[in-house]
Amino acid sequence: MASPRLIMKMKVASLRSEAGDVSVVEFRHPRRPQLPPFEAGSHVDIHMPGGKVRQYSLMGDPADLSRYLIGVKREEAGRGGSAWLHANLKVGDELAVSAPRNHFRLHNEAQAHLLLGGGIGITPMIAMARALKAQGKAFVLHFFARSRMMAPMLADLETELPADHLVLHFDDDPATVVDLAELLKEQKDGTHLYYCGPPGFMAWARASSTHWKPDTVHFEAFQPEEDPNFVPQAFTIQLRSTGQELNVPADTSALTMLRAAGVLLFSSCENGVCGSCECGFVTGEPIHRDAVLSPEAKTRRFISCVSRAKGRIVLDL
Amino acid sequence: MAQSWSGELLHIHIAPAASYEMEELAEARLIAGKGIEGDRYFLGTGTYSPKPDVRDVTLIETEVLEQLAAGEPKMPGIKLDLAPGDHRRNLTTRGVPLNHLVGQRFRIGETVLRGARLNFPCKYIEELLGMPRLFDGLLNRSGLNCAIEVGGIIRPGDRIVPMES
Ligand code: FES
Repeated sequence: MASPRLIMKMKVASLRSEAGDVSVVEFRHPRRPQLPPFEAGSHVDIHMPGGKVRQYSLMGDPADLSRYLIGVKREEAGRGGSAWLHANLKVGDELAVSAPRNHFRLHNEAQAHLLLGGGIGITPMIAMARALKAQGKAFVLHFFARSRMMAPMLADLETELPADHLVLHFDDDPATVVDLAELLKEQKDGTHLYYCGPPGFMAWARASSTHWKPDTVHFEAFQPEEDPNFVPQAFTIQLRSTGQELNVPADTSALTMLRAAGVLLFSSCENGVCGSCECGFVTGEPIHRDAVLSPEAKTRRFISCVSRAKGRIVLDL
Repeated sequence: MAQSWSGELLHIHIAPAASYEMEELAEARLIAGKGIEGDRYFLGTGTYSPKPDVRDVTLIETEVLEQLAAGEPKMPGIKLDLAPGDHRRNLTTRGVPLNHLVGQRFRIGETVLRGARLNFPCKYIEELLGMPRLFDGLLNRSGLNCAIEVGGIIRPGDRIVPMES
């Protein structure tokens, strides 16, 4: 089970508009001058009225623990979290913000880091690029956006990063367009790949990096990719500790059934992106539908809010 | 045997739900048999074991917190600065021998509490705060879980005194 995280009531200290319908929100704590620490790649949960919980990458400097900075893109077609923040948030407001968690950390053993940010997926990359620059590590950040006008945080990136560390790709400027298949064709020894962006970008990056060594590819999604052809089926869970069996109907999540059986599991996004509801599995054939687990973790972990199984699965609970 | 001690209530903290940071109150209402108004145990939104238990309100000694911050010599290597409320107990006391109050009744201001059982540190706060040695640091001095026998208003500064049981 993922560890619980402290939830803090934090104040909105400033709001800034950025290109591409992005709002940068600065949170400070009314009483804690030092916030819980974080590393590049971490995200926080933001608890909104009505029980909505959304994940946002921290884009500030991990060395500055006086504040947390997130970038929120307004998604009209989203699940309503970003639209609510854009419409309602004012300086001075209080929101419940969790301590950071990291599923997307930099791998220190890498000799070089290749960072790909698509649109708002640039937010974790900003923190990563800052950390790598501060440590003097070899890295290149590729930023993909529809146009210069739509690229959030571009001015900051251009001032902070030397030209050979930042490569820009704009759909409306053919000279800058690259095919990811081409860019990722060769994996240089010791290079790790990190990518984050909207679903189409994630699918593109994944398809273009299938030949990379699995433990050198890292990503973070804001929402799991939807497979329109997926038809959920009923399956059975067995608890390892007690042997108890639970039937999970086709229209109900494993998490719901586990809770109904009195198993204490944390959850937050209930959408397969935050990892709060993770547990282990011992035997069985899971159908992983999350956007958290690495290929290696998929051989032994299970995200109970969205993932399912064929037939029977024994969970390490 | 009449007990002779007298202490003081220093802080009152509540949390609206499990994992929520605790908030300090300047005044709180204790409800007999239930808890502190607005607190997670009162609201039934806390994390606790499914076994029947009494924990209307939890208390901890400020002396323990001071020893932890100073790196008390008996626990080499453990030195932990907890922010106010990070201990996740409701009431912080000074001058009250909590470990000796199981089964004893005592007053805080106009209210009456009865010591139910010694609190046991849990791995949950250790993980919540990312402080790996907190569990060891609180062993045998993790405070007291109490039942509220007579409810009422309490405030920091209230005297805490023993009652004849
Ligand atoms: S609750 Fe977020 S991944 Fe399951």
